[in-house]
Amino acid sequence: MYSYLLNAAIVAYACATGLSFAYLVQRHEAIHRLASLATATGWAAHTLALVVAAVESGRPPLGSLADAVSVAIWVVVLVVMIVERRSGLKLLGAFAMPVVLVLGLKATVARPPMLAPALGNAWIWVHIALALIGIAAFVLNFAGALMYLLQERQIRAKRPGRFYYRLPALETLDHLTYRTLALGFPFLTTGLILGALWARASWGSLFAPDPVAFFSVVAWVIYAGTLAGRTAGGWRGRRAAYYAIVGFAALVLTLGAGFFLPGMHGA
Amino acid sequence: MALFAAGVSHKNAPVALREQLAVDDDKLRELLRDALAAGVVREVVMLSTCNRVEVYGVAEAPGAARTAVFGTLCRQRGVPPAVVEPLLYMHEEDDAIRHAFRVAASLDSMMIGEPQILGQVKDAFALAQSCEAVGPALHTLFTHAFAVAKRVRTETEIARHAVSVSFAAVELAKKIFAGLSGRAVLLLGAGKMGELAAKHLVEQGAFPIYVVNRTWSRAQDMARALSGTAVPFDELAAALAAVDIVVTSTGAPTPIITRDMVARVMHGRGARPLFFIDIAVPRDVEGGVDALEDVYCYDIDDLKQVVDANIRERLREAQRAETLVEREVAKFRARLGDVEVVPTIVSLRERLEEIRSGEVRKTLARLPDATPETRAAIEALSAAIVNKVLHAPITKLRESSRAGSHRSWLEVVHELFALGRRA
Repeated sequence: MYSYLLNAAIVAYACATGLSFAYLVQRHEAIHRLASLATATGWAAHTLALVVAAVESGRPPLGSLADAVSVAIWVVVLVVMIVERRSGLKLLGAFAMPVVLVLGLKATVARPPMLAPALGNAWIWVHIALALIGIAAFVLNFAGALMYLLQERQIRAKRPGRFYYRLPALETLDHLTYRTLALGFPFLTTGLILGALWARASWGSLFAPDPVAFFSVVAWVIYAGTLAGRTAGGWRGRRAAYYAIVGFAALVLTLGAGFFLPGMHGA
Repeated sequence: MALFAAGVSHKNAPVALREQLAVDDDKLRELLRDALAAGVVREVVMLSTCNRVEVYGVAEAPGAARTAVFGTLCRQRGVPPAVVEPLLYMHEEDDAIRHAFRVAASLDSMMIGEPQILGQVKDAFALAQSCEAVGPALHTLFTHAFAVAKRVRTETEIARHAVSVSFAAVELAKKIFAGLSGRAVLLLGAGKMGELAAKHLVEQGAFPIYVVNRTWSRAQDMARALSGTAVPFDELAAALAAVDIVVTSTGAPTPIITRDMVARVMHGRGARPLFFIDIAVPRDVEGGVDALEDVYCYDIDDLKQVVDANIRERLREAQRAETLVEREVAKFRARLGDVEVVPTIVSLRERLEEIRSGEVRKTLARLPDATPETRAAIEALSAAIVNKVLHAPITKLRESSRAGSHRSWLEVVHELFALGRRA
């Protein structure tokens, strides 16, 4: 039942991604409505899947990295829907949904969910939940940075294309990346600290030889640097956007490592 | 009776002819009254702008009506009808509906999406109404056309993107800054286009406005006109540091704002973007300034390029508007059909009801002993027969109106049931 619902959700997200791309090319309100409908349908199926998983196993559906990522994209989709509705930034879906789709596919093709032996401790759930909210914020951070760079290129090239007309002002996009960074960073930080403390309690060392821990520290350093640059160094715009993309690449490596490399987070 | 639209427009007639044919409101009234009095049209609206002179009407013989109306117009204006006649276009029925919708929605305009035409059509309609030249057909046509025009404006972007250089500059500023209210603007030079761009920025909430000019008195004049502050020329660099948008339009032969100057200014600005709108020829801002981080610069050619792109975008949007109009034409035709068919259906029912109740009365008069049940049964029987008989013709009328072929059916029904002359 769980995997059936999750697959349904992924299919709906795939449709939503395709429709969002179509909306980029062809500005028909009907296409955007269909994309929103597909997104909402996928999200509903996803919600059901998570509920079913929780009921069947009697614990939050965060038992494996695959499950955890599934929850993270659930949060992303929710936020995308809210932001699109609230701010009328209808192109956000086209930038965020592909990420959702890729992570969602990863989550389904990964090994079947099983509870890692260390997952007895309550703190570990907090660690996972915080890290996930952080990831969700950084998906939007990444989408905002992409949109910023696209719009900036269009304005500098002085040849307005489709994106010029449809994307909001550079300043608006820069605020989006700044706010998502400021939101995601404390969550990621606290998540990492809890993970490290818990690793010391379990294995007697702050840094267990674990690829997920390694790459997430890399991502954290990049994001910390960007945040410091933004608040103290007056970074903004293009430079901040490049760092958002590099940081997100590290985050993707983190998750990729969790899925495909052996380590404490893996099997 | 047929709906028609006829006339000349910028598409087929040269401006020299259009300006000869254009008439003022008084002359229009005269033309409308003449046409009605001559009996060539039943309803008529005339539109006269610098880009088109058109007649919308309902007539038995649209061709003759067109010739008559434009004949009078030509005589009035002293133009030989033989010159005008071959240029006149003629749209009938669906084509006339489509034409009215397209004109009102600014799809037939010289600059697609220009906003004035809708007001002009509304004025023409009001004028015809005041002359009692508008009947039910043109009334529904024009009110529907206004609704279509509104839909096109809100649901497509045919009127959204600027087609003038100064508005294009304002739109660009809005793609860089999230809103223009509270953005400081520096106006350098006293060119007309620069002043216009600055005015547009002020309308969007830009504030404060600084004005710099080599001639101090001109700076003061311009500052007064824009409710801004005049700044001495040698404080230009300091002013640059304080503002977000710079509009330049001086007559200087060499650039006034150099790359070095901007580089120094940007250093102390804390990465706030600076947008140069350089409308001067020769340019006031040195080339390569916008290679600097957070500096954007559009010269007159760049702005023209944006305007061209905006026009292409309007044309793309016009395609969407055309489909919307097409759907509305179909909708309107169905409604128009209903409007024409309904009175006939009503009189058909009334006619048969008259016969039925008369016959029932006669029959019951001959049956004084009939029980209330019998009377009720006779009423019900006769009503049922009438309804069954009417069912097929009414359905046929409704269907034909949807297919647009109701006119001949209306004739037939009127003849067969002796409904009298229809309106």
